[in-house]
Amino acid sequence: MTDTIHLKAQLQACRSKEDTFKTLVTLSKTLPRLSAEEKIEDNKVKGCESAVWLIIEENHGLHHFKADSDAKLMRGVLVAILSLVEGKTLADIQQMDLKAELAELNLSSYLTSSRTNGVLAILEKIQVPKQ
Amino acid sequence: MAFDPLLLRPLFPILAQSAYDHPLTYLDNAATTQKPLPVLDAIQDYYRHFNANVHRGAHFLSDRATNRFEQARDTVARFINAPEQSHVIWTKGATEAINVVAYGLEHILEKGDEILITSLEHHANLVPWQQLAFRTGARLRIVPLTSNGEWEPEFSHYFTDRTRIFAATQVSNAIGASTPLKTMIDLAKQQGAFTLVDGAQAVAHYPVDVQALGCDFYVFSGHKMYGPTGIGVLYGKNHALEILMPYQTGGEMVRHVSYQATEFNVLPYRLEAGTPHIEGVIGLAAACDFLNAQDRLALLAWEQSLANHVYTRLHKAGGIEIYSPEKNTTLVSLSVPNIHILDINAYLDSQGVAVRAGSHCAHPLMAQLGVAGTLRASFACYNTMEEANRFCDVLLDAIDLLNDE
Repeated sequence: MTDTIHLKAQLQACRSKEDTFKTLVTLSKTLPRLSAEEKIEDNKVKGCESAVWLIIEENHGLHHFKADSDAKLMRGVLVAILSLVEGKTLADIQQMDLKAELAELNLSSYLTSSRTNGVLAILEKIQVPKQ
Repeated sequence: MAFDPLLLRPLFPILAQSAYDHPLTYLDNAATTQKPLPVLDAIQDYYRHFNANVHRGAHFLSDRATNRFEQARDTVARFINAPEQSHVIWTKGATEAINVVAYGLEHILEKGDEILITSLEHHANLVPWQQLAFRTGARLRIVPLTSNGEWEPEFSHYFTDRTRIFAATQVSNAIGASTPLKTMIDLAKQQGAFTLVDGAQAVAHYPVDVQALGCDFYVFSGHKMYGPTGIGVLYGKNHALEILMPYQTGGEMVRHVSYQATEFNVLPYRLEAGTPHIEGVIGLAAACDFLNAQDRLALLAWEQSLANHVYTRLHKAGGIEIYSPEKNTTLVSLSVPNIHILDINAYLDSQGVAVRAGSHCAHPLMAQLGVAGTLRASFACYNTMEEANRFCDVLLDAIDLLNDE
């Protein structure tokens, strides 16, 4: 939780696109990388121009996430997204307005439906995992 | 250098703005160019002074609109040296123009016939032919590049007596390389094939002479040559356009309709169903006038000098894979080992530098180059040497920031 607050503060302190870029690069280094065995087609999120893998595990009703990307900035964005949903129940996650929460973190430019990023596809997979 | 791009800048007010507190550096011209004031004025002038549907009402405004609309056809015909203005068909863009031909020629194809393209094609000049091949049982064949990006020295054997259609780009949108077009068109013609040239990436830079090229069809988009979006051109030789079955039917393209039958109109109207994109046509003619008023070869030399400068600087810097030719191109397409192009693109964007990162609608070519995509900086006549240097500086900064070591 402290981590999430720290991360929020870091991103919210960004005053320019360049600041956000540099912060995301820093955050990207904190994301544990997936193994080759985990980076399989089944775990891939479709709709992202960079490759994104997302693994969701459920334990006693709580959802745990692992993710990776071949693009560094996307790994930074994944750190931010996962910090919002990690360890929560699906019901809780589905009640969240993840788009609004990411916008609060100065990440709204990553939320366009442009084909250059698939953050919306990632949020969809997190909130509607069975699809 | 005789040419000074700063003289053109006042015609492009959109460029005089900042992006995220940095000067906007627009180097995504191969995707779309900015539009000069004469083009913007022509469009507004149309709506302010002579908006009416064309070819229909016999009234003051309609006559004015129709006259200007058909004058525009003449302007575009002269721009590409087409012999007759009726050989210029308005389309939505190069993509639609290719589709008009691909559907229109379906009836001449038999199972086993060959459609030949090159490995430099944009999806727009690939997918319509592939789908046509699926529908007819024809075979899609590709004139390949070798692994070092050169044309196979002996590509003539791809042109066979089964080749019915040969379609090739004049300039690659993805890497900026040119095709040996004249040689290829001559080979195709010797086999009696129809020939189509995708000029989308050429018209903004090279003076085009369709008669000298000798192709049956030539297509391009207005928005990549300082004109509006949503308007493009299909040029065709008379016999080639005549053989096309209309791809769309409806109003404007008919002479007489009964419930039993329809008599189609003559060219060019036969291939232009529905109310045309009148403002687009007017704007495109203004873009032709804008280019005609320039020293085209001086513009081309300038754009090539910018690309060559970037090539030379980045080549010297090292660690960057460049896929474009060193010379005679107006763009630089590159990737950096172990750094994602989207990451570099994000940094360039944060500094106000607009380029394109992606596969450039050319998946097979990217597969051949062994990359998922490239980063492309593409130049137009209004770009300055300062902007070319700024691209290099910011790119090299991005590489520093993103390198793990």
